[in-house]
Amino acid sequence: MQMMLLATLYAVLTVGVYVVMNWVYVKYRRDFLFPILTSSAIIIITLVLFNIPYETYMTGGKWIDILLGPAIVSLAIPLYKQRDLLKQYLFPIIGGVIVGVFVGMISGVFFAKIFGFPKDIVMSILPKSITTPIAIQITQSLGGYASLSAAFVMIAGFSGILFGRIFLKWIRIDSPTGIGIGFGAAAHALGTSKAIEIGEQEGSMSSVAMTLCAVVGSIIGPIIAWIFYLG
Amino acid sequence: MKFLMIFLQVLVLFGFSMVGNWLQNLLHLPLPGSIIGLILVWLCLMLKVFPLRWIESGALFFLSYLPLFYIPAAIGIMNYGQVFIGKGVLLVIIAIFSTFLTMWLSAWTSQWIARQSEKKKGPTPCK
Repeated sequence: MQMMLLATLYAVLTVGVYVVMNWVYVKYRRDFLFPILTSSAIIIITLVLFNIPYETYMTGGKWIDILLGPAIVSLAIPLYKQRDLLKQYLFPIIGGVIVGVFVGMISGVFFAKIFGFPKDIVMSILPKSITTPIAIQITQSLGGYASLSAAFVMIAGFSGILFGRIFLKWIRIDSPTGIGIGFGAAAHALGTSKAIEIGEQEGSMSSVAMTLCAVVGSIIGPIIAWIFYLG
Repeated sequence: MKFLMIFLQVLVLFGFSMVGNWLQNLLHLPLPGSIIGLILVWLCLMLKVFPLRWIESGALFFLSYLPLFYIPAAIGIMNYGQVFIGKGVLLVIIAIFSTFLTMWLSAWTSQWIARQSEKKKGPTPCK
């Protein structure tokens, strides 16, 4: 009974902190106030202060975690709504997405392996260019750690948010297509939020690229893992 | 009434996610069940099996709270803090480097393909 009560408390805490931090973000619009970052930090600090292990927290956390599946399924809707854009720019989008997925996964895995990191960590860095909910699923099926993956995804996203615009200007990417695909393929949802600020078409392109990268990535991910760990 | 409709649509999306998991187990597919569900919904919409309005409100519910659903997974980092100490800093550098490499090559590829097809079509017939 008490267990049940505590589990409910953890779930309510998570939702409550998220709702408040989302409100804070909407009000002040600063990159470092991104709700996933601030909410996770507040909850971790709370758990550490009260000496609550992660496994105990998850007795309630898993009720929220279970909604991740249908939330990913919902990503089909924006992809469907942008079908005209996809049709019109089919080859530039598909080309950029495939190159993005391969480069993002292979370069991360290659360097992590070269520097001698163990397989479970290499598998956690593999999907870092993919949007968090799906990166988590990819890494779990390959034997990596979901939370470690989420951290790498955040690193990728924030690199894109903070320096993406200057970087793209520097390498002379100036078309809305190029800018949008670059943000979506390398920096997923965080990059997309930046691309939307730049322009409408950049935003739509980035959103399409993000979702397609996630679908393509979940197919290519296991193949790349297999190639790197044949023996 | 509206609440009930959203709730039913949420159940439908849940169903697709479960069918995806079931197909993954049945066919031993390497991709996550939720992605299979995503592809199924997308196909159903493209092939007009059911109209968008059947699931749109439910999907909007999930999409507007999306980050909430992976907070529990992200918090697990509290067990792996030591990974980033010492040599682990390299992982951060690798992740950043790989991100910009990805951005560069994907953006360059799509811009190049777009310009090629524009050239082929010929933007303005000048002769």
